[in-house]
Amino acid sequence: MATTARGGGEREPAAGSGGGGGAAAEMEVEAYRRLFPVAYFERHLRESVRLDARPLASPRDTSVALGLVGSADGSALVKFGDTTMVAAIKLEVMTPPAESSDEGSVAVDFYMPPICSPTVRPGRSAEVAPVISKQLSDVIMSSGMINLKDLCLINGKASWIAYLDIYCLNADGSLFDAALVSAVAAFTHCIDDGRVVTVPGELEGKTKLPLVNKDKRKLMLNNVPFSLTCGLHKEHILVDPTAEEESIIETFVTVVLDTLGRVVSVYKPGGSVLAYTSILKECITLAKRRAQQLRNILNESVSAMEVDKSS
Amino acid sequence: MEYVNPLTGFRIDGRRPNELRQIKGELGVVANADGSALFEMGNTRVIVAVYGPREVQNKSQQNNNQALVRCEYSMANFSTGDRTRRQKGDRRSTEISLVIRQTMEASILTHLMPRSQIDIFVQVLQADGGTRSACINAATLALADAGIPMRDIVTSCTAGYLCSTPLLDLNYVEDSAGGPDVTVGILSKMDKVTLLQMDAKLPMDIFENVMQLAIEGCKAIANYIREVLLENTKQLESRRGG
Repeated sequence: MATTARGGGEREPAAGSGGGGGAAAEMEVEAYRRLFPVAYFERHLRESVRLDARPLASPRDTSVALGLVGSADGSALVKFGDTTMVAAIKLEVMTPPAESSDEGSVAVDFYMPPICSPTVRPGRSAEVAPVISKQLSDVIMSSGMINLKDLCLINGKASWIAYLDIYCLNADGSLFDAALVSAVAAFTHCIDDGRVVTVPGELEGKTKLPLVNKDKRKLMLNNVPFSLTCGLHKEHILVDPTAEEESIIETFVTVVLDTLGRVVSVYKPGGSVLAYTSILKECITLAKRRAQQLRNILNESVSAMEVDKSS
Repeated sequence: MEYVNPLTGFRIDGRRPNELRQIKGELGVVANADGSALFEMGNTRVIVAVYGPREVQNKSQQNNNQALVRCEYSMANFSTGDRTRRQKGDRRSTEISLVIRQTMEASILTHLMPRSQIDIFVQVLQADGGTRSACINAATLALADAGIPMRDIVTSCTAGYLCSTPLLDLNYVEDSAGGPDVTVGILSKMDKVTLLQMDAKLPMDIFENVMQLAIEGCKAIANYIREVLLENTKQLESRRGG
């Protein structure tokens, strides 16, 4: 937790009297924060701010950097405030199964190594990691972002399998959202370098694809999904919760939208707050706004990369 | 294969035989951790996070006289040339975890923090030879960032012997050439060796040269790490308004 410096290091309003005298009043704030977290939190909500002085409907600063991992075919680093995700894609050739002989495949894995949080114990992976892994896999496949037929090389004999590995380097809330953006960004950056494939049994042993497309080829993405997680606490809706807020709030709604503004997925796993239709509609509107924001940030970093390459 | 060009004396990546790769160290990369660091040696990139001193999780292992040091090493699936799904407890990871733990334990003043635990978590993002050394260098920076008292700065470097030339800081291609690979870890100011590992065979006198070269490399890295730490302290001081 941040320690307070005398010269205005803390940004939160002090509990009780307005920022009283020096060290004594500030010690009380830190102790109050630890001993009565829910009361401290609600005191902020009454002023319509959050623990880090954000307005309720405002997400954290987001940044996307592409191409960080040199050894991977596509990679991205995404930061939502302090939450940090690294995603990397490696393309390998496989023999497609008989029932989908003209399709490739995508394998998604999400890891939370012990560096990401003091609560993750080595030897035992975090409880949420496999849940987020499954959620990501479902959203990526069901949104139709990647046409599996695009990943086919030779019908029935060879196709690409894209291994997407996402590592959380710092866990500070909104893990699913950050992971999804990093996955999408890594796919945007993914380049098929036209590997030559030898197929056993064929005389020439070379595919037509790499010879025809000598230049590096990018994967075509359609219907890119973007998500937003909102926390529901009493009657407030908080956008992009941090880990501290996630430990206080019990109810979350995750909405995933695609490029055309259609709802790909809504996920509300229980929680004490029951959501009326109006609240869900509000979450969807907030998600639309956020999706637009994320799309702009992603496009900016893609064009920044292209400028770097051409210069 | 020509690891050292006989005419120019350059290695395959253009370095001279006694030249280190480009190194870069950065503190405080993982906000949640008590201390963290990112260390790069050429294309090898490693993140270390330190949590501690904190309460011992497994009470039966608690030591009343000193702190418990634990280390876990893991490589990202995309870190090497081929994507491999690595099991958490595989032999190589366990061995390297042990090596890093014992190397750092030699330097940490564990008797100052009894009944507590210090966790060092290492995550390799990109591997291009010398991962063990990069991990130890990053761990030193991360422990310093966490404010854990240490005897001295621990640094590590590798050296090998190919085409009759001692080579400093092998990358992956040179490492897989099948020649000897000497890894040295030293306490820089105290001039003491805490880690020494070697594979393959070397005559005694050549071994001494190669080990000496690795120690020189360690000292150069120690100077760089000292600069990084000084710079970091200056920034902390100015932020504090001192």
